[in-house]
Amino acid sequence: MQRRAFLATLAAAAATPRLSWADAGSPAYLAAARLPDGSYALHGLTVAGESLFGLPMPARGHAATAHPERPLAVAFARRPGTFALVIDCARGIETARLTPPEGRQFNGHGTFSADGAVLYTSEVIAEGSEGRIGLWDSDTWQRIGEMPTHGIGPHDIRRLPMSDDLLVANGGIRTDPTDRTKLNTDTMRPNLARIAPDGTLVAKAELPEGLRQNSTRHLALLPDGRAACAMQWEGDSAETPPLLALWQAGALAACPVPETEAVTMQNYAGSIAHSPETGEIALTSPRGGAVQVFAADGSFRASFRRADACGIAAGPGGFVVTDGNGAVLALTGSGLRPLASHTLNWDNHLIALERT
Amino acid sequence: MIRLCLSALLLTTALPAHADVAEAVKKHALPGYARFAEKTAALAALDTCETEPLQAAWNEAFDAWLGVAHLRLGPVEEDGRVLAIAFWPDPKGLGQKQQRALLEAADTAALTPDRMAEQSVAARGFFALERLLWPTEPPQGDYACALTHATAKDLARMAAEIDGEWKKGFAETLINPRPDGRYLNRSETRQALFTALVTGIEFNADSRVGRPLGTLDRPRPERAEARLSGRSLRDITLSLEALRGLAHQLHDPLPQTDAAFDRALKQAEKVDLARLDDSGMWLKAQILQQNIKAIAETAVIELAPALGSSVGFNSADGD
Repeated sequence: MQRRAFLATLAAAAATPRLSWADAGSPAYLAAARLPDGSYALHGLTVAGESLFGLPMPARGHAATAHPERPLAVAFARRPGTFALVIDCARGIETARLTPPEGRQFNGHGTFSADGAVLYTSEVIAEGSEGRIGLWDSDTWQRIGEMPTHGIGPHDIRRLPMSDDLLVANGGIRTDPTDRTKLNTDTMRPNLARIAPDGTLVAKAELPEGLRQNSTRHLALLPDGRAACAMQWEGDSAETPPLLALWQAGALAACPVPETEAVTMQNYAGSIAHSPETGEIALTSPRGGAVQVFAADGSFRASFRRADACGIAAGPGGFVVTDGNGAVLALTGSGLRPLASHTLNWDNHLIALERT
Repeated sequence: MIRLCLSALLLTTALPAHADVAEAVKKHALPGYARFAEKTAALAALDTCETEPLQAAWNEAFDAWLGVAHLRLGPVEEDGRVLAIAFWPDPKGLGQKQQRALLEAADTAALTPDRMAEQSVAARGFFALERLLWPTEPPQGDYACALTHATAKDLARMAAEIDGEWKKGFAETLINPRPDGRYLNRSETRQALFTALVTGIEFNADSRVGRPLGTLDRPRPERAEARLSGRSLRDITLSLEALRGLAHQLHDPLPQTDAAFDRALKQAEKVDLARLDDSGMWLKAQILQQNIKAIAETAVIELAPALGSSVGFNSADGD
C-alpha cells in the first residue's frame, strides 16, 4: 500500500465510528485448519458450517478468542506458539500480529478483559514451563505487562463472568523448551487458578493425589459462575480416570462416567463446551472418536461416535462439532448430523464468537 | 494403441485381488465375528463341570476373539461390550475382587441372563472365565460351575449380538458410506479400518508386551495377558496374524509390512513372557516390542499413501 493511501485509510478509520459485532455480518465461529497443500488457515464459519473466509496462518493454529464488543478476534498459534493474529472478523483480514517476548511462548489460548481493553495470553517461560499471563493493549497491541499463572504449563484461560478475574488451567506439564516433549509426567501437579487482574492468586484448586497425573487443559464457563474442565490423563493407560471436573467455589470435583464408558475417550479430552440452550456440557475425544455429553451437574448422559472429533462449541439445539476430516456437524438430542463438509482438516478448537 | 491396451489389460489381470474396505469387511470382519459367535456358542453349550473340555472350548473361543479384537468400532463399542468381553488390562484387580464377591454371595438368582448382563464389566467375559477355569484359590464348588456356565452364556450372547449387528447393518455402514451416515465417505471408512489396524498393532507392543515387560530393573511378568491359562504369547501371535490379514484386505501387496510382521513373529518364537525375570529373556521381549512397533511404523508408511488415509489429524496432536 502506498503511504498516502495508507494515511487516507487511517484517517478514514479514525473518522468512522467503531463497528460493533452487530454491524459486522460476521461469522458465528472461528476454527483453525490444515489445508490439503499442507499450509494452515483460520476460517470464519456460519452457524450452518459454511466458510465465510479463510485467512492464511503462518503455522499451525490452535484456539482463538473474541473481543467482547468490537468485531475482532485473536487467533493463537499451536504451542509452543510464536505468533497470534488479530483478525477483523467482518472483513476476514489480519490487522495486527503479536509476538511473545524473548524466552516466552504462547500456549494456544487467550481471553479479553470485561471491557475489552486488555488481551490476556496464556504463556510459558520456555525454560521450565512456568506459567505466565501476557497482558496486551487491545488498541495498540503493545505488550503492557505479565503476571504468573501460579502453575506449570498453563493452557486454557477464561475470564469469569461478571468479574475481571481469570481462570487458568495450569496443566502441570513441563515441556522441552524447543518442542512438545513432556518432562515431568511422574511428578506433575496441575491446578485451576483463579487470578485477580493484578495477578494475585484468589483460589487454587487441585484434584486429589490419585488424579495428580490428570492434566487440566480446557475450560468451559457455566452461566452460574461454575466452570467445567476437560482433562488428559498422563498416568498408567490401563487406569481410566474421569476426564471432566467441575470447578465451583474454588474447588474441583471429578465427574466419573459409567464403567461401560471407561475407555470410550481413550483417556483424552480434546475440547469442552457448554450449551446454554440445553444446559449440557460436552467433551470431545479425537483419540476415542467420540463426544460425551453430561448434564449441568456433571452426570453422564450419552456418547456419540465420530472419528477425530475435536472442535466443539454451543450451537442451535445443543452443540456444533468439527473433526479432522473437514466435517462440521450439529450435535443435538437426536445425535450427530452433518452440516457441511470441507476439504481440509479442522484443528483442535471451534470458537464460538459470543458477542454482546 | 491396441498393443498398449492389451499390455495394460495383462497388467491388470496380473494384479492381486482387489483390496479395500469392502474386502476387509467381507473377508476379515464378518467371517471373524461369525467365528467368534460360533466358538463362544460352543463354549456356552457345554453343560459339564469338568475343567478340561471347558478350558479347550474357552481357548478356541479366545482364539476366535483375537481374530477381531482389534476391530474396536461399531457394535462392540455399544454398552461397554469390548470391556465386558475382555476386561484387560486390569491394574487394580477389579475383576478378581468382583468375582470373589459373587462367589462368596453364591446367589443363584444373580446368574440369570438378565442379571449377568448387568454385572460389572470387570466380572464378565474371557478373563472372568479364565479365573474360574484356572483357579488360584481352590476349592471350586457347584456355584463356581454355575457361574462359569452363566458367564459363558453371557459372553456368547454378546458375541451373537455383535455378529448380528455387523451382518444387519454395520457392514453396510462401512461398505457404503453415506453423507448422512456415521461415515460420510469412503476416505472415512478407510481411515476407520486403517486406525483399527495401527492401534491394534500398537496394543500388542504397548500392552500385551509392554505391561509385563516393565523395566529391566523391574519386570512385571505377573501383568501379562491371559497368564493363568498360559497363552500370553499365543495372544500376541494370533493377534498379529489377524492384523496382517486385515492389512492385506485393505491393500495388497505389502512387501515391507509383511517383512516387518515376519520379523516380529519370528522373534515371538524366542520369547516367554512368564520368564521376564531373566534378563536375557527380558531383552528378547524388548526386541519383540520394538519389532511390533516397527510393524506399525511400516504399515503407516506403506498403507497410508495407498489408502489416501492417515490416523486422525487431531488424535495424533495431543493438546
